[in-house]
Amino acid sequence: MTIAMDDPVLEELRQALGPEHVLTGRADRLNRTRVPAPFPVHRWAERMPDLVVLPGSTEEVAEVLRLAHAYRIPVVPRDGGTGLTDGAVPLRGGIVVDVKRINQIKEIDLENRTCTVGTGINALKLNEVLSRHDLIFPDDPASYPCSLVGGRIGTSGWSLIGSRYGHSRDLVLSFDHVLPTGKVIHVGDGIGRKITKSSSGYQLKHLFMGHQGTLGIATEATLKLFPKPEAEFSPFWAFEDYDSAYAAVGRLAGAGVATFAGAVLFDEWKVAYLRRDDEAYIPQPSSVKALVCAALYGYEDEVRAGGRRLLRIARSTGARYLGDEISEGDWAARHDRYATPLHGRTRSGQVVPMSWHCEDASINYSRLPAVRLAWHEIADRLRRESDVFDDWGMFAYTNGPTGADYLTEIDIGIWEQRLDDAAWTEWVAAKRDLAAVALANGGSISACHGSCREGEVDLVPEELGGGFEIMLAVKRAVDPHNIMNPGKYLLDRAYEPGLEEP
Amino acid sequence: MSYRYHDEMTPPPPERASEVAITRFEHVYEVDPALMTEHVTQQTFPNWDTLRLARSRADHLAWMHRHFAHKVISGEELLDDLDGGRSSPRTPS
Amino acid sequence: MPDPEKRFAEEWRNAAYNCFSSGHKFCREVCPVLQVTRNESWSPTAFHANVVAMEQGSLEVADVAADYVNCTGCGACELRCPNSLFTGDFYRFRTRTVDLVKAVRALAVREGVHQPGWQRWNLLTDELTHEPVTSRVSQERVRDWAQGLDLPVGGETILFVDCEAAFHRTTAPRAVARMLELAGYPFGLMNEQWCCGGPAAEMGYEEQALRFARHNLEDWRASGVRRVLVLDPHDYITFTEDYPRYFGESFDIEVVLVVELLAAMLRDGRLVPHVPVERTVTYHDPCRLNKRKGIWREPREILRAIPGLTFHDVDRVSQWSYCSGAGGGLGVEKPELTARISRMRMDKAAELGVDTLVTACPWAERPLTEAGGARAIGVVDLHELLAESLGVA
Repeated sequence: MTIAMDDPVLEELRQALGPEHVLTGRADRLNRTRVPAPFPVHRWAERMPDLVVLPGSTEEVAEVLRLAHAYRIPVVPRDGGTGLTDGAVPLRGGIVVDVKRINQIKEIDLENRTCTVGTGINALKLNEVLSRHDLIFPDDPASYPCSLVGGRIGTSGWSLIGSRYGHSRDLVLSFDHVLPTGKVIHVGDGIGRKITKSSSGYQLKHLFMGHQGTLGIATEATLKLFPKPEAEFSPFWAFEDYDSAYAAVGRLAGAGVATFAGAVLFDEWKVAYLRRDDEAYIPQPSSVKALVCAALYGYEDEVRAGGRRLLRIARSTGARYLGDEISEGDWAARHDRYATPLHGRTRSGQVVPMSWHCEDASINYSRLPAVRLAWHEIADRLRRESDVFDDWGMFAYTNGPTGADYLTEIDIGIWEQRLDDAAWTEWVAAKRDLAAVALANGGSISACHGSCREGEVDLVPEELGGGFEIMLAVKRAVDPHNIMNPGKYLLDRAYEPGLEEP
Repeated sequence: MSYRYHDEMTPPPPERASEVAITRFEHVYEVDPALMTEHVTQQTFPNWDTLRLARSRADHLAWMHRHFAHKVISGEELLDDLDGGRSSPRTPS
Repeated sequence: MPDPEKRFAEEWRNAAYNCFSSGHKFCREVCPVLQVTRNESWSPTAFHANVVAMEQGSLEVADVAADYVNCTGCGACELRCPNSLFTGDFYRFRTRTVDLVKAVRALAVREGVHQPGWQRWNLLTDELTHEPVTSRVSQERVRDWAQGLDLPVGGETILFVDCEAAFHRTTAPRAVARMLELAGYPFGLMNEQWCCGGPAAEMGYEEQALRFARHNLEDWRASGVRRVLVLDPHDYITFTEDYPRYFGESFDIEVVLVVELLAAMLRDGRLVPHVPVERTVTYHDPCRLNKRKGIWREPREILRAIPGLTFHDVDRVSQWSYCSGAGGGLGVEKPELTARISRMRMDKAAELGVDTLVTACPWAERPLTEAGGARAIGVVDLHELLAESLGVA
């Protein structure tokens, strides 16, 4: 699909949005092809949209989609563009709908403890305002200072302190959603805007979260608020081997402490990697091989009580508390823990700028050790063959308060400047293998980013089974002309002739 | 509190901190410069800039704590409690 | 692509890639331009990504020169970037968006791509040897602000007064001069002061910037100047970053920021504020002090020493996302964008219920004063406020 400069749709868009909000410049388009996930630099321009629009309201988004629907033009929604599964990347040109201008705070409802915002708003900026009311919207991804609420809805995001407060799907109560036809619906529990639980009808909120822009665009959301915590406690402990750390995290997460907001397990590869450039770990003795941290939020008395309980448990597992300075410093850095390029090293130890791949499967506690070994083997295979890839170690983060499953992350540095076509092919194969390990261990390919990148996406039908056919049927029903983010999640199959009814 | 070219461009001598890191300023680590000779080379870095970043990092992290909660509980203090230590809590940092 | 552009892309490729490959965008919500426009084409990330595109031959400087106008040079992006904040000092390699923006603007000028406002401004500056901040600017009148103060010309220490303060906000340098006299601190005025050249460098007129810098340094050398006092944060940046780059180790002049000097004088009791100033104030951290130099304690020390003041402080990290909008030539080329950024800053002050916004940057004062008018918030210079409390206003 290519839109020519004299295409009539351009004039219609300019009239609907104002000419300054329809961008056709090359740089405007290039700068909306990119997300942080690694991709060969030399192929960057393949993902260019034809034009970019910056709507300022739900009505303007609806008008753009009505036009796109009428003219059969692909549309890719873009919010923060911080996602790690290419959701905001255009694969077929068309129109990028950049919703950053829709970032107003429409209402703060102190009585019901909710707020209603444009989806182009960032949670940190929102919380700066909410803190005046001693409230917080605790949706806390690693991209906390830059991701936007609409992207959190589009990916059904994961939060670092989700074990205490829930993840995006729990924290977003409802939202205005523009369907691919341009029709606007309100999605929530039942029809409510501020209802946290309804059993009325199908539960559509889940469906319209995490679709990676393939089912439309959320424009205005009502969010659940909590009192800003009085106290925080974030102990870090060192261990002499992975097995002890693994045992400890299981006991800590399973302790049932009410203020428990999350725990993280760092494996040996991660500790070795942190020794490269992290001020907390450079001076640690070589006996430190694995780490665990936990975080508690709440009133001071309950955090102190819960904290003592966790410290007692940790002590009984042989953990060594790393001290207040490291515990406090390192935890605070986790709210914006995006990797930096100079973490990268060649096999001879030279510093090189690498992009960051973050694999993010959901894995049950009992399967963590097996997945860890299988994943490092894949990373090691890549590393053996070239300096383009680097194993940056693994984290496992609790998904919820009972410790049943973990966001399981292997970080792989990828030197995109050297990522030629052969290395990319090798990477896509490895990516597929990583996802296959997650499935073989009864997990899910993705806990937070989504699973529509090259390689992993091939396994989505296997993961969802019969559910994938439902996905195709829903896509076809909601988006009859396949204009919303075409090419993602193998959804083109929904439009193949002879597709069987599910 | 004043700028002099020579002072700013003369960093304190390095001490080795690990196989891959050195230190020049108290509590500030730097990569072993030998690791940045082939692909990415180091920039001219006056002393004020190193200290500005290190201090800004500390300020930023303290800000993040305040952003998420009103106070931070000290683990060292809770461990003292477990050991039947002090009865009156110390002001958390 | 023209050869100079290829060389440029080659020079900046690793620095640009360091941003492009990480794609954090932690810069976005602290960038003053992004906060008001929400246009990602004008983001610090885009400024780096464009270089990657130039290296690949998909963009030329003429395509993007106008985009690079949209930067105040406040430095929030490069400080907030994890590549600076978390690892910049470790690797001695940090994000340098401000330098990059200046470099692209200079490349554009070298390639003959001019922005009309900047071109005119720098022609006039060249002609007048000072920025055309008012209709009264001329070389003859550069010391008019000091009339009646009986200050010597020359000496080991001189006070350098930026164009805005010398010709427009003249009460600020007068306050500084009277406080230094009160403290018994000897200083003089410069023999033949020209504009520092920093604004020309920021707008891409490099040759002119260097020529002005050479003039000033030669003037200092000729009259035996060893130490230059500056009250303007922009001058402080020019003298501690641009001049060292131009002249290398032969730049042997000590540069002292007046705010730091005054704070030291309060600490050692040489100055004792005693006249109560009954105002409810907040402080605007000048970007070039707080973000780009890490200087934020001393202005607060001064404010806390003034009797009578009610001071509602906003911490330095929150203020990384604040800006007056005046820097980097933005107000010359796009005054309406500067005004939007000033209004956003003033909205923050208004939420605190203050009657006065105190700043320490002459360039911030004009746009902030305009934005403050509608909210009944006055803008006062920190130096002047201290002088009032010392009884020498």
